[in-house]
Amino acid sequence: MRWLGLAVRLAAGNLRRRPGQALLLLLTLTIATGVLGVAMSLYGSADEPWNRAWRATKGFHVNFTVYHPPDEPGDRALVAALRRRASQLTGASGVVAVGGPWSHLYGSIQIGGGTEDLTAEVRDPGPYQVDQPLVTSGRWLGQGGGVVLESGLAATLRVGAGDTVTVQGRPFPVRGVAQTVSRGRFPLSRPAQVWVTPETARQLRGLGMTEEGFELQLHLADPARAADFVAAHRSLEAVPSSSSVVPYMETWQQRRSESHSDIDIVAGTLFAAGDLIGILTVATASVLIAGRMAAQIRQVGTLKAVGVTPRQVMLVLLVEHLAIAAGATAVGLGIGRLLAAPIAATSVTILGRPQPPPLTVTRVVIVAAVAVAVVLLGTVRPALRGIRQSTLRSLASGPPPPRRPGRLGGLAARAGIPLPGVLGLRSAWRRPGRLLTNATGLALGVAMIVVALALRDSLDLLDLRPPEPGHAASDAAVAILYDQIRAIILGTAGLLLVLATVNAWIVATFAARDAARNQAVLRAVGATPRQTVIALIVSQLAACMIAVAVGIPLGLGLWGLMEAGDLPEVRVSATSLVVLAAAVPVAFAVIVSVPARLLARQPVAPLLAYE
Amino acid sequence: MRDMILSLLAKEPAHGYELRQRLMQALGPAGAALNPGQVYVTLSRLERAGLVEAREVAQPSQPDKKVYELTASGLERVLHWLNDLTWSKVAPLEFHLKLVAAAATRLADPVALVDSQRLELLRELRQVQELALQEPPEADGALLLEGASLRLQADIRWLEVCQQRFVEREVR
Amino acid sequence: MSTVLEARGLVRRYPGDGSPIRAVDGVDLAVEAGEAVSVMGPSGCGKSTLLHLLGGLERPDAGELSLGGVRVDRFSETRWAVFRRRGVGFVFQAFHLVDELTAVENVELPALLVGVSRRAARSRAMELLERLGVAGRAGHLPHHLSGGEQQRVAVARALVNEPMVILADEPTGNLDSRATGDILRLFGELGQAGQALLTMTHDARVASTADRLLTMRDGAIVAQTRLGAGTSVAGLLASLADLGGER
Repeated sequence: MRWLGLAVRLAAGNLRRRPGQALLLLLTLTIATGVLGVAMSLYGSADEPWNRAWRATKGFHVNFTVYHPPDEPGDRALVAALRRRASQLTGASGVVAVGGPWSHLYGSIQIGGGTEDLTAEVRDPGPYQVDQPLVTSGRWLGQGGGVVLESGLAATLRVGAGDTVTVQGRPFPVRGVAQTVSRGRFPLSRPAQVWVTPETARQLRGLGMTEEGFELQLHLADPARAADFVAAHRSLEAVPSSSSVVPYMETWQQRRSESHSDIDIVAGTLFAAGDLIGILTVATASVLIAGRMAAQIRQVGTLKAVGVTPRQVMLVLLVEHLAIAAGATAVGLGIGRLLAAPIAATSVTILGRPQPPPLTVTRVVIVAAVAVAVVLLGTVRPALRGIRQSTLRSLASGPPPPRRPGRLGGLAARAGIPLPGVLGLRSAWRRPGRLLTNATGLALGVAMIVVALALRDSLDLLDLRPPEPGHAASDAAVAILYDQIRAIILGTAGLLLVLATVNAWIVATFAARDAARNQAVLRAVGATPRQTVIALIVSQLAACMIAVAVGIPLGLGLWGLMEAGDLPEVRVSATSLVVLAAAVPVAFAVIVSVPARLLARQPVAPLLAYE
Repeated sequence: MRDMILSLLAKEPAHGYELRQRLMQALGPAGAALNPGQVYVTLSRLERAGLVEAREVAQPSQPDKKVYELTASGLERVLHWLNDLTWSKVAPLEFHLKLVAAAATRLADPVALVDSQRLELLRELRQVQELALQEPPEADGALLLEGASLRLQADIRWLEVCQQRFVEREVR
Repeated sequence: MSTVLEARGLVRRYPGDGSPIRAVDGVDLAVEAGEAVSVMGPSGCGKSTLLHLLGGLERPDAGELSLGGVRVDRFSETRWAVFRRRGVGFVFQAFHLVDELTAVENVELPALLVGVSRRAARSRAMELLERLGVAGRAGHLPHHLSGGEQQRVAVARALVNEPMVILADEPTGNLDSRATGDILRLFGELGQAGQALLTMTHDARVASTADRLLTMRDGAIVAQTRLGAGTSVAGLLASLADLGGER
């Protein structure tokens, strides 16, 4: 184990000496871990505010709701039976407090220019043993008329205590605004809700509001066992299948998990984006890692003097890269905690200030696993090559030697391709390992562009929902959510494009660096700088062609895996793919020409100096 | 010279002409520079010293030739010589003294001395290389020439060191 | 005899700590057709830089350079590259063969660059490899060849377009003594065949094969001599001087 300590010290020394590439790797990894970190922190950042509200409002442990469609009063007997079942429930063992049952009336409220479905819950002024809504403005129900608005509804209408709302076409004063956890927040949770006294209810019935059900809320001796209670009383939900009455029992944990669907959707989208970015990062990381390893293995002479074997050199490099992965994990999780709160605050469902949940081991492990997986996948090829070579001297001689020349080299020449092209093709063909590495990296980039195109096409899906009558306001709120998701998707697509370009740039730069010595030799024997640039571009285009051929199906396959089951299929149009297949090589040739030209401008002599 | 002749007789007796041939073979081109008379002079000295004895051998159609043979003490001397580890001419003492004298007396410029001596050695090295090109690589002569070449290279390198040292002294 | 290479007042400076370092400090140099010239000097004296200047791998900060009567010191990279194809052949200490090309592909490269047909280039390359004794390795990649073989391939490459002058930078620096002997023989033959040759070296054996020897120190040529024939063979024996003190 002694050399493990040495390995750590050597790794630390290496990182300090040449931080540039390490920082680039760290940055690339951090983009993936950052996005995942935000997703992880968003999941559940609405939980704590919900818990606070739940405690403050004596929220239910078990909720029993019966709903029947207001236009079909035919099941009165069944509903009456259900009411009896409900009162039986109040005496069940384990129940320590009861709220309700409270009747629900169905009607409409005016919002903006249109109307919106409304539920009016009928209650005596209280107080209640269970579900005591928290008044945030004005007062609770009591003497005098008026309605108490659910806080989400009030926020959407932009009204407070003292204002007026129009219910069933008639104006009603707003007595107050209150928060509850028994129902989701409007507008993502529909229908809208107000609380009314029995007198106001009579008024509303007179205006045409009809019964649509009731709700019963229970406190248990052991709230943690709420699921067991529900399971024990499942039979209460039994109704004939022909009936349109819907009885529904749920626990507080269920309600909580469904209370913040918008945050969940955003977090889910970010998680998928983070996975995509993680996959692309493998390509970039492997090129960076291979380049870093090659550069360090050349300096291995001093290590050899200490008696270090090639395996131990690999270990040192692995330690370095795992350290970078650990750094990326920490930074990513940190970014997650920082950004989660502001993102969550834009949610329409949240009850109070969001709070990122504490870091659980699971969350840390997931993000770390992605970073480590990327690093390990990037390290595999160069490590395998390094361990197979038995002497350090062969390690120190630079990139792996070309394989035996075949007859294909001559074919290109015979085909009449000009000399720089022939040189480029030979260069690509005789170093199959490097050709494959570059092609893999570029293929992942092409796949990401395909996914980006599919993402952009999928945005059209979000526009297809036809507006439903009676849901004008909530549709507007959902539209805002969709805009958020759209922004995330577009942002992800854009990020993928940027990363694919950066990836191509890194591949091109390393290729130019690898070719530097050979280019210098070519110029020394009389090749013009332009000819060497063309040779380099041709050799890289070979990898690019392979990348396009592999990357397009790969991208389509990845998108197929990612699509949610119930969304209609998004097909990237064949035209876009053809355009892509033509545009990528051109774009890549342009990208490669930059480091190629810079290289050609460099003086030849230092590259030919004896090392 | 004496030990050289003695060693060439150690295998079997020979007369003067044969001896010279063996010498040529052992020395290669360097042997060509040898004065033929010197061989006979050395042989007579060795005879007087009792290390070699001569016999007349009658020949049918030619005058008698003298065949030389090692005596017991001659053989002993050869054995002694073979096992002796003294290595002559390790340090170029004479030239070193020349440099020191030139620097002290200012009768000659040490740097110029070194320059000319170096050129001379380079010329000799050139000649040794040309001769070596003409010899088959397995011949004994080629081995001797390789030794000459390496010594000349070593001396040239030492002269470069001398030059460096005296140039530095001048700068100061 | 025509002058193949002529340099006057070549200067090359590098920035150093404080004042710039003059790697080449006003060098005048000429090589005639068919002449073999060696430049000797301690490491760091500027030999390699001078060679780079003479071959256009670096630009002089001042001075003039002509190859075959053409003023080349103001050439652009591209013009130099084209000129170099027939003008200059390089032999480097590190061989510098293109590692993705076989031996014969390396040798035929300058010929292809000049525009010679594929077939003619290939046959000329094989001819040269034959002459240099490495024809059997023609289809091998450089890393399969020994140092001596690589250098011979490099010499073949330098010769393929029959350049005006061959510039060699420590050609034997990376070779064992056997391979050095081969290269020495080769250079001797080239000299006799009339190829102009300029060699930078600190190996006395290589330097002694030249017709003219230049000594370089601190960026300047400080001495120039014709080596000519050596002393008599008798003197040679005397220099061995192991004959019991008798002369």
